[in-house]
Amino acid sequence: MFGLIGHSKSFDAARRNALDLGLDFIADGDLDVWCMAPPQLVEHVEVTSPVGTTIEGAYIDSCFVPEMLSRFKTARRKVLNAMELAQKKGINITALGGFTSIIFENFNLLQHQTVRSTSLQWQRFTTGNTHTAWVICRQVENNAPSLGIDLKKAKVAVVGATGDIGSAVCRWLTARTGVGELLLVARQQQPLLDLKSSLGGGRILTLDEALPEADVVVWVASMPRTLEIDQDSLRKPCLMIDGGYPKNLDTKVAGGGIHVLKGGIVEFCRDIGWRMMALAEMERPQRQMFACFAEAMLLEFERCHTNFSWGRNNITLEKMDFIGAASERHGFSTLNLYPNLQAAMV
Amino acid sequence: MTTLNAPETAVTEGQGTLPDFTAEVYKDAYSRINAIVIEGEQEAYDNYMDLGTLIPENKDELAKLARMEMKHMKGFTSCGRNLGVKADMPFAKKFFEPLHGNFQKALKENKVVTCLLIQALLIEAFAISAYHIYIPVADPFAKKITEGVVKDEYLHLNYGELWLKTNFEASKEELFAANKENLPLIRSMLEQVASDAAALHMEKEDLIEDFLIGYQEALSEIGFNMREIARMAAAALV
Repeated sequence: MFGLIGHSKSFDAARRNALDLGLDFIADGDLDVWCMAPPQLVEHVEVTSPVGTTIEGAYIDSCFVPEMLSRFKTARRKVLNAMELAQKKGINITALGGFTSIIFENFNLLQHQTVRSTSLQWQRFTTGNTHTAWVICRQVENNAPSLGIDLKKAKVAVVGATGDIGSAVCRWLTARTGVGELLLVARQQQPLLDLKSSLGGGRILTLDEALPEADVVVWVASMPRTLEIDQDSLRKPCLMIDGGYPKNLDTKVAGGGIHVLKGGIVEFCRDIGWRMMALAEMERPQRQMFACFAEAMLLEFERCHTNFSWGRNNITLEKMDFIGAASERHGFSTLNLYPNLQAAMV
Repeated sequence: MTTLNAPETAVTEGQGTLPDFTAEVYKDAYSRINAIVIEGEQEAYDNYMDLGTLIPENKDELAKLARMEMKHMKGFTSCGRNLGVKADMPFAKKFFEPLHGNFQKALKENKVVTCLLIQALLIEAFAISAYHIYIPVADPFAKKITEGVVKDEYLHLNYGELWLKTNFEASKEELFAANKENLPLIRSMLEQVASDAAALHMEKEDLIEDFLIGYQEALSEIGFNMREIARMAAAALV
């Protein structure tokens, strides 16, 4: 069985979702009530791959909402309790979705292996970042040409280049795609220098310097609410892959030759009878999902019960190859600017 | 896949800090918390002995559980002694009064389901969650004792779960009613000791969520579905 640990996009959305689920009591509660609410296994699902394998899964709502980010202890407890629930339900491989994987990593939850009487088995969990990185790279490769961008000559900026996903994207674009030039953007200098040296190329720039030069921008970093992008200074066409969370790049720029694509989203080849992606406000919730969630499904399809994506900067090209091949074999395609793009390219 | 705007400096907040076990403010709070634990174990002893009269076929097993509670009570009494704290027993008696009254009333009416919900589900889940939260911030002596106690308490929770699971259909309506009447008492008991618990570095939010996890797990084991459980748990939250 695969598992997905998720959360609502906002406190308001969480209350609406709880009402839909018949959990009126918690829907009415204020944020303090939500801080005390335990995780809930809200849905079971069955998925059959085009190769005929059927797997079962479960969705666990951690009862975390982004408004709790400033409450460190609450956020930590929400993630650990949801993980404990997943393990207690006997789920083989569970993906940490949305903020939960970041909380796990940034708040160093590895040191909290014991939750009550349960010793968490890390091999049962994955961040799903390998699949996310692979999907983002494929989105670049699929969509840039459709806008007339020749990747062999293009400048591709990776914002958040030193993160787990960002660094994997840089490695792939360098080794496999072969882009014209990589523009490396991140907050901390030393990791940037280390990355540049390991890639054997790329140019380190600030965000303001990189944006006007880039034909393609891959966003995998936090985007401050106050960030303003001067649309006139951008190249046209420009492909922007919004790989961050939450996906709000289209509120900053759009139109006039700037093409924003939600990054790290995949679509399954048939409808899945679940409601959980409606909660994530996907456009086609019966088929679309975060690539990190799909990674748990892929690992279950492949009977690969291990913490495939774990820690920081452990994503290798070989792992991306493996998960990418599994993704295609089991009926997933990446989200594109134009719906029929992938089919047309095959 | 994700981004986080929260400052990383927040990460170390509140981790790995133990209270000063010798501070007066700690000892003062401990005098009430320790008393509650001692009284809770005493109540549990009495309740399991009483339950033996309602479920005669399990009398021996219940007496065995009761003896464990007595052992716990002695262990926790020594925890207070070790810190040089005198447990405030009158406070604890008063603290348990409403729940005690409800148990005694149910006992007189031969309501075995209500009695089991109060003792084997609510009190046990409450104790287990409190002990789990306490262990990481306990003094070394109390930590060892409490770790031993937690293992036993799971057995007690399991007893109630099993009995109610076996008799689920017949018990369901009474469980709904007993939950509605008694779960708010647990919540108000928690509120009453929240500031003392905080002095021991045990936070209310942690206590309530942990309690609800244990309680919901027990309800699920017994046979309730997610919606029923959520509805029942509502009484503790709102």
